[in-house]
This record gives sequence, C-alpha cells and structure tokens, in this order.
Amino acid sequence: MSKPGIDGHWRGGVVVSRGLRDAGMEVIFGGFQNVEQIVESAISEDVDVIGLSMHSGAHLTYTERVINLLKEKGVKDHFLILVGGVIPVKDFLVLKEMGVANVYGPGTVVRDIVKFIVENIKK
Amino acid sequence: MFDENYLKKIKERKQEWDKKFENTKERDIKFITDSGIPIKNLYTPLDVKSNYLENLGFPGNTPYTRGVYPNMYRGRLWTMRLFSGHGTPEETNKRWKFLYSHGETGFSAAVDALTFNGIDPTNPDGDAEVGTSGVPLYCIDSMFALTEGLPIDKVSVALIVEPFTSAPVCAMYYNMAKMRGLDIKKLMGTTQNDILTMTVGYVPYKNVNPYHILRLACDLIEWCVPQKNVPRWHPINFTGYNYREGGIDAIQELGFVFASACSHIDNLIDRGWKVDDFVNRLAFHLSAHKDFFEEIAKYRAARRIWYKLIKDRYEAKNPRSMEFRFHVQTAGSSLTAQSPNVNIVRTTIQALEAALGGVQSLHTNSYDEAICLPSEEAVLLALRTQQVIQDETRVPNTIDPLAGSYFIEWLTDELEERVWSYMDKIEKVGNIAKALDTGWLYKEMRDAFTRRQNRIEKGEEIVLGVNKFSVPYDQTTTVFRTNKDAVKIEQERIINLRKRRDNAKLETLFDKLRKVCENEENVMPIMMEITKEGATVGEICDIYREVWGIWEPPIAI
Repeated sequence: MSKPGIDGHWRGGVVVSRGLRDAGMEVIFGGFQNVEQIVESAISEDVDVIGLSMHSGAHLTYTERVINLLKEKGVKDHFLILVGGVIPVKDFLVLKEMGVANVYGPGTVVRDIVKFIVENIKK
Repeated sequence: MFDENYLKKIKERKQEWDKKFENTKERDIKFITDSGIPIKNLYTPLDVKSNYLENLGFPGNTPYTRGVYPNMYRGRLWTMRLFSGHGTPEETNKRWKFLYSHGETGFSAAVDALTFNGIDPTNPDGDAEVGTSGVPLYCIDSMFALTEGLPIDKVSVALIVEPFTSAPVCAMYYNMAKMRGLDIKKLMGTTQNDILTMTVGYVPYKNVNPYHILRLACDLIEWCVPQKNVPRWHPINFTGYNYREGGIDAIQELGFVFASACSHIDNLIDRGWKVDDFVNRLAFHLSAHKDFFEEIAKYRAARRIWYKLIKDRYEAKNPRSMEFRFHVQTAGSSLTAQSPNVNIVRTTIQALEAALGGVQSLHTNSYDEAICLPSEEAVLLALRTQQVIQDETRVPNTIDPLAGSYFIEWLTDELEERVWSYMDKIEKVGNIAKALDTGWLYKEMRDAFTRRQNRIEKGEEIVLGVNKFSVPYDQTTTVFRTNKDAVKIEQERIINLRKRRDNAKLETLFDKLRKVCENEENVMPIMMEITKEGATVGEICDIYREVWGIWEPPIAI
C-alpha cells in the first residue's frame, strides 16, 4: 500500500491496510513513496497487489507514471493494481483503461476490496 | 439552580412517570452521543448540576459559557470565511473576488500539498500536485497575485499553513502588506500554525521533528504578539477540526487542542513571557459534526474549560486572556460522494450547530467536496447557507438560545468532565511534541479510524446513500478540475524570480538562517529579510531539513 506523491491524507490507506491484514493478508504499508520506490519495492517484495491511495487530485498522473514504469520493466502483468481515494467516478474508466484492475471511491466497504483481491489475484 | 423542595417534588413525580412508562417499547438502537455518552430518554431540572452564576454567568463575563462577547451576534454576526484555493494564486484571487462580491466577510487560503510541505514546484517530488488541492504560495510574488485588488486592510485573511512553513509564508504575506503600504501592526488575520494538523491530521512529507515544529509555532506567536510586530494577528489556531475528520470524537477533539495549547503556553512562559502577554491571541478551529446537540454542548464546554485552564492553571490576571474564540468548519467527513445533493442538508444542519454554539467565524462545505474541489456553483450555495441562517432565520436574535435546556446543560457538564480526564491521559505521556514523537497520538488516531469505519460497516453509524438507502457512486454532479497548466505557470514564476533576485545576497542570508536554526533562535526576523529578497518556501525548508534532519513519523497501522 503506497501513497504516491506528497499529500498526507492517510486515513484511507491505513483503514484499508488494516482491513486487509485483518482478513489474513500480509500488507506492506509503504507510506509516501515515489514512482521508482513503488515499483522497486513491489518487485523486491514480490507482492501480488499494488495499492495506490490518493486524495490529492493527482491520481491520473501518478497512476500513469507507475504503470508506465511497470511496463518499461516488463512486469506490469505480475501485479493486480488497485487505486483508491477521493476519485471522481468519471476517472474510474480512465484508470481502468490504463490497466488498473479496480478503483475504490468514497464510501467503499473494505470487505469488497478483500473479495475482489481473493477472486482476481494473479498467482 | 433550582429550589430544593421543588426539586424533591419533581423527583417524586419523575419516579411516578418512570414507573408508568417503564414498559414502553423503544427502538432497538443505542441511544448514545457520537462520542459514546449514554443519553437518557428525558432530562429534567434534576439533571442540571450547574449553578447559574458560577457555571453559566453572562456573555462576555466569566466563565464565558454563554459566549465571549456581551452582545454576541446582536453586535456583529460571525465572519463567513470559506476556506478556498486552487490552481494558481491568480485563479484563487478570482474565486476570492467572486465570494467577496456575494457577501463573504473573511478570506481563507487553502494551500496545496507543496506549500504545506515546503516543496517548490520545480522539485519533482511534488510536481504532479501543484495547485491540485489548494493554492501554491511559495514566494512573495504569489502573495501579491493572491491578494491583488482585495481589501486586506479591512477584511481579515486566514493563512492555512502549519508550523513547518508558517514562518516563511507569513513573512511573505507581511512583507507584501508592507510593500502595499499597509501597517502590519494593524493587520488582521490568522495563521493556522497547528502542530497536530501536519503530523496526525495529515502525515508530513519530509518535515522536521515535532520538537522543532513546536518551537517554530511558538516563534511566530512570540514575534507577532508579545514582541508586538503584528499584534492584532491570531498567530495560531489550534485545529481540532483536522484530526476530528480522521474519526476521533468530540471529547478527543477538545482534549487534543487543549493539551496542544498548554504545550505552546509552557514554551512561551519558558521564554520569559507572562501568560497575559500573549494568550488572548490564541484561537481555535473546531468541527461541526453530525451529532447536533453534542456539538453545541461541546462549544459551550470548550469556553468554560479554557476559562478554567487559563485562570487556574496559568493564573492569568486579565479576564480577556480567558476568552475562547473559535472558527468552525462543517464536517467534510460526513459528506458522501453518493447523492451529493444530500450534503447540502447535512451542511445546513451543521452550520446551525455552530450558530447556536456561539461561533466567531464559519466555513460551510460545498456539496461536491466528497468528489473534488468545490465548483463556483457549489461554493456559492455553501455561502448562501450561512446567509440564510444569518439573514432569514432570526437565529442570531438572542444570545446562547439553548442555555437552560436541561439536556444541553447536562451534556455541557458531562463533556467538560470527560475532556478534563482525556487531557490528563494525554499529559501523562508528556507535552504534545513527545506525544507525537512516541507515536501515542498516532495510535489514538489509528484506533479512531478503525472504530469509525467499523461502526459504518456494521451499520451502527448510519450514512445515508452509503449504508442505508444506498445508491451507486455515479454522481451526475459536474466535476471541478483544477488548472492543468498550474505546474508550468508556477515553474515559470519561480524561474523568473530566480533570475530577478540578488542571488549572492541571498546566499549570505541563507547562511544567516542556518546559524539562527543551529542556535535555535526565533526565525521570524531573518525570515522577514530573506523572503523580501525572494527566497522561496522550498529553499527555506531545505535549510531546516539540512540543519535539523528529516523526521519519520511513527505511523502505526
């Protein structure tokens, strides 16, 4: 679970991380990470899912940068990419077209995220 | 407050009444306040412990429970101050002029994440976030653009920056005002300057440790108030609102702000000042959340707690030192992205809480804020919400209209008691910087996040559109987008500034700042010099980082 950029709204990332952990998943809470750090830690920790939590309004830019770097390294398909935060529903499709598996806006219930991960995990 | 014999009679009758209706069915929910205080079915004079003269008194008189001014809204209505900023200083200026032309009576600058964290727009760490969540204000030129054509000598301005960047941002603002020919001794406004906002409210990005942050906050207070450079300014606004948004309750909200205020007062007393020299300019910023009566009781309890704290613990002599003045923001976290129109209703009710609670200044949220920064249409409606209360409802006709309600007085007493014991709990950990550095406050926040989320997921806390009468998240509301070119515009502004300024002179001043930081002297005098010469917030904060190091907050998940 990463927070790309410098915006410090941390509630969403923490609540979801705890919820996933309580559901029996191992969660690495990266906190603030730049695009390179996100990709490097995802590869070195061999994670299944990359979660990006954003409340800055810059979700399109950061997600595109992360996905481009993953593609550059040829590892895009190794990960399930999930995005959450204060994200207008109009951007859900844009994010999915970029290659995000699912997007979670305000009012999300954590068990829905758990269910989606269990059903869609790639390994 | 009542005659004893008469109370006896009431008690007898109450017992009869209880008996008669003891088997009456009640709905199967917990009757508790948002902070978990159990609520009885009925309140009577038997529940009121307060004596009128000692615990309530008169407005403008101790203990200030009923309000800090003798005339309250009959003299002057609360300031309508909408927290606002996006894109560039020029665009924000346009928004401020729009609001002012529609009757707004105070300005408030919402800055972007770069300005909060002392990062310049030329720094790749934050280039994607220039202007996306507020206005970028990192050099004196930005201040001129922000306030161009606005009567900042008559209308007060709130600068919502925290201690890590408050010294440079305020110095830029004061220099701009001076260059516009204004006397900063008369300048009115507020700096948020709140240590807890950029530590537990939001997580700080590459800031310094909380002991330095606390000192920086106190530097601004000291330089403005007891040193009398900007004596009419509120140099700090303890912002319970921001951490309340995370999920803590009303009791914790007051506990956090009062414990924090005490740490600042102690710091200034250690510097040799007397509490009466400065405490009157300390201000507060609280939330108006979902629990209608609890929030009103909270404001009343806060005034009484502050009075007692300043009088008894700090032995202030001047009654004006004991006045609790506060700004309120309606609860952003109570808004939903589902059916955003319902947010208009929520905000209206919360604004009424503030009005009934004796607020000095109020921000009402726009209905689209669970989705994006507010559009012009939404923000105008938010302003009109306050104007309806001020101009149409006659609510401001009399002072503290809910006083004497058995329930409100009981709840005010109950909250007061619970806040005192929560404050004790925080103070056992240490001062506010220590409570942060040890991670204690982070754990309190994390637990609050989870508690609230669980309550919503279990349906114990109802959120219409989300867990009751739920509707899909497919809003029809127009999404307001911030200017995509902001980053280019701001990078150009900084490049032009760097060409124009005397860089050699600045290097000498930067060295002077390094010395000031190393010696832990008040940073404000050098900040006034350095920002006038065109130093940027990012450059100044880099010197803080270089001298004091970067702090990793002890976040717990």
